[in-house]
Amino acid sequence: MLADIIPGLMSVLTPTVLFFIIFGVFVGIIFGSIPGLTATMAIVMFLPVTYTMSPIEGVSTLVALYVGGISGGLIAAILLNIPGTPSSIATTFDGTPMARKGEAGKALGVGVVFSFCGTIIGLLVLVLVSPLLAAFAIKFGPYEYCTLALFALSLVISLTGRDLVKGLISGLLGVMLATVGLAPVDSAKRFTFGMVDLNAGFSLLTLLIGLFAITEVIKAAEDVRKPVTAKIETNVRIKGFGFSFAEFWSQKLNLLRSSAIGIVIGILPGIGGAISGMLAYTAAKNQSKHPEKFGTGIMDGVVASESANNAGIGGALIPLLTLGIPGDAATAMLLGGLMVHQIAPGPLIFDKSGVEVFGIFFALAISAVAMLIIELFGIKIFIRVLKVPKYLLLPVIMVLCVIGAIGNANRMFDVWSVMVFGVMGYLLIKAKIPHVPMILGFILGPIFELNFRRAVQHAQIDPSGVFSHPIAICFFVVTIIVVIFSLRRQRKEAALLKASEES
Amino acid sequence: MKKFATALTFAAALTVGAAPAAFAEDDYPSQTITMICSHGAGGDTDYNTRLISRLLEKRLGVSVVVNNVTGANGSIALTQYKDEKPDGYTIVGTNAMSLASNEASGLSDFGYDAFEVISVYGKQCGENLLVRADAPYNNLEELIAATQKDPDTITLGVAMGGSSYIAGLIMQMDKDAKFAMVDAGGDGAERMTSLLGGHIDVTIAPYTLAKEYIESGKVKSLCTLMSDRLPATPDIPTARESGVPNLMIDTLYVLLAPKGTPKEIVDKLSATVVDIVNNDPEYKEAIMNFNFQEPYGLNVEDSIARLKAQREHMMSYAKYLQ
Repeated sequence: MLADIIPGLMSVLTPTVLFFIIFGVFVGIIFGSIPGLTATMAIVMFLPVTYTMSPIEGVSTLVALYVGGISGGLIAAILLNIPGTPSSIATTFDGTPMARKGEAGKALGVGVVFSFCGTIIGLLVLVLVSPLLAAFAIKFGPYEYCTLALFALSLVISLTGRDLVKGLISGLLGVMLATVGLAPVDSAKRFTFGMVDLNAGFSLLTLLIGLFAITEVIKAAEDVRKPVTAKIETNVRIKGFGFSFAEFWSQKLNLLRSSAIGIVIGILPGIGGAISGMLAYTAAKNQSKHPEKFGTGIMDGVVASESANNAGIGGALIPLLTLGIPGDAATAMLLGGLMVHQIAPGPLIFDKSGVEVFGIFFALAISAVAMLIIELFGIKIFIRVLKVPKYLLLPVIMVLCVIGAIGNANRMFDVWSVMVFGVMGYLLIKAKIPHVPMILGFILGPIFELNFRRAVQHAQIDPSGVFSHPIAICFFVVTIIVVIFSLRRQRKEAALLKASEES
Repeated sequence: MKKFATALTFAAALTVGAAPAAFAEDDYPSQTITMICSHGAGGDTDYNTRLISRLLEKRLGVSVVVNNVTGANGSIALTQYKDEKPDGYTIVGTNAMSLASNEASGLSDFGYDAFEVISVYGKQCGENLLVRADAPYNNLEELIAATQKDPDTITLGVAMGGSSYIAGLIMQMDKDAKFAMVDAGGDGAERMTSLLGGHIDVTIAPYTLAKEYIESGKVKSLCTLMSDRLPATPDIPTARESGVPNLMIDTLYVLLAPKGTPKEIVDKLSATVVDIVNNDPEYKEAIMNFNFQEPYGLNVEDSIARLKAQREHMMSYAKYLQ
């Protein structure tokens, strides 16, 4: 495995790969900085472009888009008071007040530098943990995967927000959509209505493109004619990094704590950067000697949010690479990207695609550096991009969606699926049903079913069944605890909310 | 009356339109040929399809563009393109094992004869019967004897309904082997993971996937399921030699044209393909490097005979598959 490190490094140190990384980071920042466009969307759009590239070129581009997209959100968060991506919601809390005080340059500098630090810390953990987890995950058989999927599905409750029922509706819709086509194990045709095209089921890519790109376009089309009222802070100058080394050093604990939160949240399936930023912000506030200053424009808040959401990238890649279970919507797209390029995630990934995996690690590191440089020196460009009218951007995105859909398997059927999913996603927004649980249901449902059916086959041979699989029992117990605690918290929060609304 | 006139004009237009096509065989090919690959980019079927299309392009002097139309073990592409316009400008590259096992399992309701067969132009390096290196059996006979001694305890990880499952059935029917067959995934890599992780005792996977584990001493190959020993691995016996004569799973790569494609076109394509396979040193080197394959190209008649034999072999186990 260690022998793959040098070839992995060499594979990304080629002019084409470096170009694609810089290009990917640049485009990713644009997608991240424009409110309504997200890192997930950037990966959706450019996945088909990578079809013809070599695996390492393609995956490096996608990783670069991911890094740029997550980090780019801070620009709009600070300058517009609108998070460019959901992951930078918490950046607005202190970023915007800083900009109002005339410290826009410093806020951006802090955001960029700590995004970089967070990414690197996340990467280090990824490099250290994933080989260990891969070696451990080979012990995962049907029982373990079945209960792991169950555990991951139970986490859906924690990200449904206020309305548990709507979250569960979304998750179940995802599970149901995934049952279309050939069943696992016995290949029975389900819900195909005699249509040959449905035999293959719906692909993850079409669902993602529909829900995260087409839906956003339709939603944005609603208010494309409304005049833009948000004021953009344009008087920005960053001197050096915008802050002193002493200020940087004073944030070391905050950085480590926030990164740790980001990584853990990243590893857990389904809980994306938005929540990790908020959690890290809250933690920083609670641990601070001057919690009352939070929200008035101090750098601690920006540090917490930005280091957490970027550290989550490394975290989310850990289960993606070693177990094939994505941590959030963007990594779900990366999963599609890896499979297109014949890199099969799983315990054997270091054996089978060691060079590519180390290539991904190095691509992530280079992307972080590129992000740092591009954002520090190119900030003026991105401020200008924020002013590009939506009616120019949206049609282009629509075209790219269709190309992405057809590129998936060269079938018109996928294009129609994308359109239908897009409209469905829009209707779900109107019904206030969240999207992310559906993606998780769509991915985890089949993993659960497949391994459940396999476990049943194994149980017929060895009647001790799940009782001879301690890891599986652990997952089972943790699942029950998570469900009970989430339900209790859910009820408490709902009651609190109700009380505050009544008073 | 007016309708009748319209219909007449239409019919006339059709005849006129059809006339040049009837003479088109002479100057075939004169435009881009689309080659539909029934399996995903990066796999062995895709590799073979792309390689042959690239070399065909050189010989024929027109572009040959590969499109992967994937899903349901190739049955999506095969169903969609079997009734495509039979003008020789759309051909399908697939593997015959998918074609035969899809029909045997009821996933598709047609076989090779729903197409005009151009050529069986390649043969995979073979599925191997694999056990972990510390397993007590060293050949197929010992393994089968062990399953009879302790029935339904030795797990054989297969893809339910796939060729590995058929292999298990053959051992069960012909030699009274008593494996506990469990699903371990349609992807050979997934079955390897299960074997290495100790979740199954025996599995069947392509030699290319098993090679590094055989060499590093983690896994041993009891036999290959090919009808003949692979020249690259002369010391791995075949299942045929190991006492199970019916256990032959050859994954053949095949080019098909929609039914009704003129014989002249099919013959011309077939001859060109067979010539590439047998005489092109670049082809020989490429398949060896990629997949330890040896050149294997059959003309139209031999291809049909080979596919017919494989289909009958598979269909004789169809009743256990559906």
